[in-house]
Amino acid sequence: MDLQTEVLIIGGGATGAGISRDLALRGIPSLLVEKGDFTSGASGRNQGLLHSGGRYAVTDPEAARECIGENKILRKIAPHCIEDTGGLFVSLPEDGAEYRATFIRACEAARIETVPLSPREALSMEPRLNPLIIGAVQVPDGAVDPFTLVVENARDAESRGARFLLHTEVVALIRDGLRVTGARVRDRITREEYAIAAPWVVNATGAWANQILGLAGLQIGIALSKGSMLITNTRLSERVLNRCRPPASGDIIVPNDTVSILGTTSLREEDLEHFEVTPEEVSFLVKELSRMIPSLREERFTRAYAGVRPLVQSGETADDRGISRGFALIDHGSCDGVMGLITITGGKLMTYRLMAEKVVNFICDKMGLHVPCLTHVQRLPGAGLSHALKDRLLWLRRQAPASRGELLCDCELVPRETVDAILREGKVRELQDILHRTRLAKGTCQGGFCVYRLLGVLNEMRKGEGLGGSNRILKGFLEERWRGIRPVLWGISLKEEELIESIYKGLFNLTPEERDRSEGSQT
Amino acid sequence: MRRWDLIVIGTGLAGLTAARTAIEMGARVLIVGRGMGSLVLFGNTIDVLGAIPPGVDLEAGVTNWIAAHPDHPYARTGWAGIAEALVAFRELFPPPYSFVAAGMSNSLVPTGAGTLRPTYLLPVTMRAGAGITAAETLIVGFRGFKDFQGDTVSLHLKCRGVNIPLPRYGLEGLSALALARLMDEEPFRNSLGEVIRSQKAGEKRIGLPAVLGLREPAAVMEDLEGIIGARVFEIPMLPPSIPGVRIFNRFREHLIAKGATFLMGNPVTGATVKDGRCEGITICNPPLETTYRAESYILATGRFLGGGLWADMERVSEPLFHLPVSQPTMRGDWFQERFFQPEAHPIHRAGIVTDMALRPVDEEGKTVLSNVWVAGSILARHEAIEEHSREGIAIATGYLAAKRALTL
Repeated sequence: MDLQTEVLIIGGGATGAGISRDLALRGIPSLLVEKGDFTSGASGRNQGLLHSGGRYAVTDPEAARECIGENKILRKIAPHCIEDTGGLFVSLPEDGAEYRATFIRACEAARIETVPLSPREALSMEPRLNPLIIGAVQVPDGAVDPFTLVVENARDAESRGARFLLHTEVVALIRDGLRVTGARVRDRITREEYAIAAPWVVNATGAWANQILGLAGLQIGIALSKGSMLITNTRLSERVLNRCRPPASGDIIVPNDTVSILGTTSLREEDLEHFEVTPEEVSFLVKELSRMIPSLREERFTRAYAGVRPLVQSGETADDRGISRGFALIDHGSCDGVMGLITITGGKLMTYRLMAEKVVNFICDKMGLHVPCLTHVQRLPGAGLSHALKDRLLWLRRQAPASRGELLCDCELVPRETVDAILREGKVRELQDILHRTRLAKGTCQGGFCVYRLLGVLNEMRKGEGLGGSNRILKGFLEERWRGIRPVLWGISLKEEELIESIYKGLFNLTPEERDRSEGSQT
Repeated sequence: MRRWDLIVIGTGLAGLTAARTAIEMGARVLIVGRGMGSLVLFGNTIDVLGAIPPGVDLEAGVTNWIAAHPDHPYARTGWAGIAEALVAFRELFPPPYSFVAAGMSNSLVPTGAGTLRPTYLLPVTMRAGAGITAAETLIVGFRGFKDFQGDTVSLHLKCRGVNIPLPRYGLEGLSALALARLMDEEPFRNSLGEVIRSQKAGEKRIGLPAVLGLREPAAVMEDLEGIIGARVFEIPMLPPSIPGVRIFNRFREHLIAKGATFLMGNPVTGATVKDGRCEGITICNPPLETTYRAESYILATGRFLGGGLWADMERVSEPLFHLPVSQPTMRGDWFQERFFQPEAHPIHRAGIVTDMALRPVDEEGKTVLSNVWVAGSILARHEAIEEHSREGIAIATGYLAAKRALTL
């Protein structure tokens, strides 16, 4: 099975999906391959912050202007992916009034609207803030749901003829002399290998950029920086809370539906497949962010996770936060003499659309096409829908008890019907695909109860076997869940952990794989 | 005025066993606790030491195992202590709802995940599940009852399974407790039995979720067996556990009948300690705080889940008496890298270290409190989850703690 397309996009993050949509809107066929599910990389592992640009106003005015520009565009084209929370930049005594004044001036220069607030005003808006604050500045920050944003881009592109192959990895780039003419890919589930021919190959793999370039013997200067985040069990604030000081680690709290996401750290990372949140990072984040919200120390945390940012290196800098958060578009034809290959990396979730626009402009230019970009005006198809808690509750209330059906997840109110609909679509290939597309396993118990029920549904449909044997899937899920919860196991989370472990290892007697094999157990 | 001989803190299986042992010895007993402990979560069968394979004589297995694990709570009780405590436990459950063993060794029972779990004593309602074969077994789940996925069980046990609709009730809001109460009603279980009979295709054993009634489970089972014409057995499932509630109810009824005082639901907020002795405990019943005093005290407050242990970001502590807690040095050492590893996570071995009589000791082995005894899962140096020893440890140490507390 060999395929052919005009533009082959590698990487199913925000940038890749954005390029796919931009191409589709300009009538250029494309095919996207992604080795995992959508947003498996940094697009799905960030703080979900809709930047106003305030964070970069003082240190990187260009990034700040990009952010506020894209912020306004995303509010128009993807309102259903955004919660317009607003944000505060909060000054603690150690941050000083002077930086606050600089900050306000810099925001004005970047055309970011600011509203200076007195400590009293800020505390009445956000009562859990440290009462010692000396002031705050309101900016148009918000929260964004990256997964929905990416899936919506892909869905729109697909409806216009673009193609997507998930769980498909590139194993080689096909060369014809000095030109890249496509790629050999492998289906990670069926192990099938085949070729995709394309005059243009776009490497939109973010932190993985050099892994793809290595297949062509190329390399670019990017630094990999791990950022770790914590999720609280409740929502700590109505607005995004930032420290009003030069960007540093542990200075942002983003509300996200019913929870808050705390971040971040910044550590050099080499291993892209195995990176963990360390106990030291967790302790650091809790300590640092409890300066803004003192009650944080008593808070229950449900999960920790980390993402790896690709940072474009333009020179030698000691601190990764000093490296520009800007993006790089590299034409390997003019840089390295390898034609037909483009790399787009660096940047932020906030600028995914702009990055896509630049890539497609470049390709159009090379093709001699003069079609204008439409992604900044054309709304995404689902605009108008909402996944917010209040809308889920309203949906539930509208259902008559008899037709409401089972709730698979009591924490996050996921009805069985939702899962049935996803399965009927026939696109999911592994358990995590289902979890990405619903709120299953995202609540307080982190799937401890609902995954058992979900597997029951799969077994009832005998789909469990297709996905790899049900107790093997269950163990895989528990192992993946463990990566997220292990860093935050103390207090009430530890109680929950004792419960879950007692159920699966105790009551259900699930054992490590090694023992399964030696005992020939029924899994 | 000291009114009680013994105050038992904790109303899980260890505390209940201690209180009952003491009351049989003629003591005046007060038992206080917040809830049913892990009984309501996992109480099904009585695991003693699942690490001993079925077919191996349990006495010999446990005795050898103790020799290899001299720090384990069972090294305090010995096999004789376990056996004596189990006899006492079984006496509390006379037929028809009795606990039985497959001879002198562990047997394997099916679980709600379709796996098999080694255990020792089974309630009669689970007996027919031990040693089932695929050909003669039918697993029955109920539509809309999501905490027992019959298809998962039958798929793994490679036998036939059906999901049946429940007579009279729709899908909405069905809990295990609601189902168990319905089963106690004869007309309900009779019509359920009819539905199951119509689904049977020659199978000799029928597996159902463990919800066969709270009041008279043996009668529910027998009625269903009569109608269906096959043996019926319960399968342990996700919490809450109905068989565990039955155990709790039986203990409570017995203790109250024998004159013990039961205080449930209010937290024990503090303990007064003087000269290495506990002088009293304070129970908060807002707006009142009352102090209760006794000659002896048994601490059976469980682990993290039960509130017997508490972990902040740095340390594990015992919040009531502030007893020394044996634990790994740093939070980074609490857990293994993977969820499933052959060894237990180190934090599960944390807990209270005691002397041979189950009195708490410090790092040097010196007794910390001379009139306090410790029982159940709060004890250090066992791996109840991996070993499958939860109920055995609770019963054996609860029994021993009471004996020691009253014969000092």
